[in-house]
Amino acid sequence: MYNLIRFIQKHHFVILFILLEVICIVLLSRSQNYHKQVVFNTTNDAVGKVYEWGNDIGDYFHLKRTNQQLAEENAMLRQQLSVVTDTTTSTYDIQGRDTIYEYIPARIVNNSITNVNNYMIIDKGRVDGIEEDMCVISTDGIVGVVADVSTHYATIISLLHTSSAIGVRFLNNQELGTLKWGTNNYRYGMVEDIPTHIVLQPGDTVVTGPYSLIFPEDLMVGTVEELLQSPTGDLNHARIKFATNFATLRQVYVVRNLYKNELDELKSNFKEE
Amino acid sequence: MHIVRFVVLVLFQVLVLNHIRLGGYVHPYVYLIFVMLLPINMPKWGLLLSGFGIGIVIDLFLGTPGLHAGATTLMAFCRPGIIKLVSGTQKFESIQYPNLNQLSGRWFLRYTLCMVVVHHFFLFFLESFSFKLIGQILLRFIISTPISIFLIMMILYLFKPERSKEKNL
Repeated sequence: MYNLIRFIQKHHFVILFILLEVICIVLLSRSQNYHKQVVFNTTNDAVGKVYEWGNDIGDYFHLKRTNQQLAEENAMLRQQLSVVTDTTTSTYDIQGRDTIYEYIPARIVNNSITNVNNYMIIDKGRVDGIEEDMCVISTDGIVGVVADVSTHYATIISLLHTSSAIGVRFLNNQELGTLKWGTNNYRYGMVEDIPTHIVLQPGDTVVTGPYSLIFPEDLMVGTVEELLQSPTGDLNHARIKFATNFATLRQVYVVRNLYKNELDELKSNFKEE
Repeated sequence: MHIVRFVVLVLFQVLVLNHIRLGGYVHPYVYLIFVMLLPINMPKWGLLLSGFGIGIVIDLFLGTPGLHAGATTLMAFCRPGIIKLVSGTQKFESIQYPNLNQLSGRWFLRYTLCMVVVHHFFLFFLESFSFKLIGQILLRFIISTPISIFLIMMILYLFKPERSKEKNL
């Protein structure tokens, strides 16, 4: 026993070093798991607060552009509203049961686009009704999925993440595919698994697919940049340009599916059988 | 003094430097200054824990558990060896912590070079170890290292302690 203590005393530097490195590597390898990726409380309220201070200053420089974006969006919504009020009877109830999605506006307080796996932090959390697995969109297109929620903040796994995979559809021929990031450029993504008989033209629109419980259908994703023929002749890939510009993103909406509990229940019933 | 430096460097790193996006390959890390300027005669366990501490705080902000902590711990571990290596026969009895008044700029450049290379190499190694994108990560290493060294040297010269103050201490 005494020898052991002597040994530890003598080599405490090396032992402590190895111990700390082991802790680091355990933390790092545990974080590889997709959803546990954020275990480490990136959404920690304190961290969110610091980013928010930093952003309070930065926001002033973007006021003009943010204003313009919001004005454009307003104009678009007004136009849509006029279509709705024209075609339906005057008893149209805007709070009606047809609404299954609720939109919660949020501000991005931290955003990364240059890492291998990118996250954002927004200034809305559990108290604002944010929950895990909600989808996040911007005025231009989809942005990501909520991965972790704390009291006042939430972490979003952006599309710019190696494990993001989203079902998408090509608008002009209704074909489905899977969107992954696949490039290291924040402007472009890859749609994988496209059957070879499908012809795509640059500029074709890509929207979200119909079978997702997270993303509402028909949200704008991006436009086709080029179709990459597979050398082995099986499934093709297509490089697409994201509609969302992740570098200048400030304002997003978190989409809450009001019937999500019901859907989850159905799904879990199905699994049990 | 060291606590203030810790806070300021962490804030500078996460609020300013992490927003630099030149082609996505430039990732300068200047928070290493904290570990570099720790007292020379500090107990070794304190050195390791300080390195681990600042690394884990940076990790908290970047959402990369263990990545920076691993690199800074290794750097802290290597620090006594690096100091011996770069100073040769020079003795440090009169010097409390590395500073530009008592040590030459060339000494500091060598010191910074060794520390940054150890840190960046291990950092990018850990990243590639987990993400399997070695080519890209090597490129990051090659581009980021000189920029980190340049920034660190610049900051060290900017915040060089006054000579007169030094005498009073």
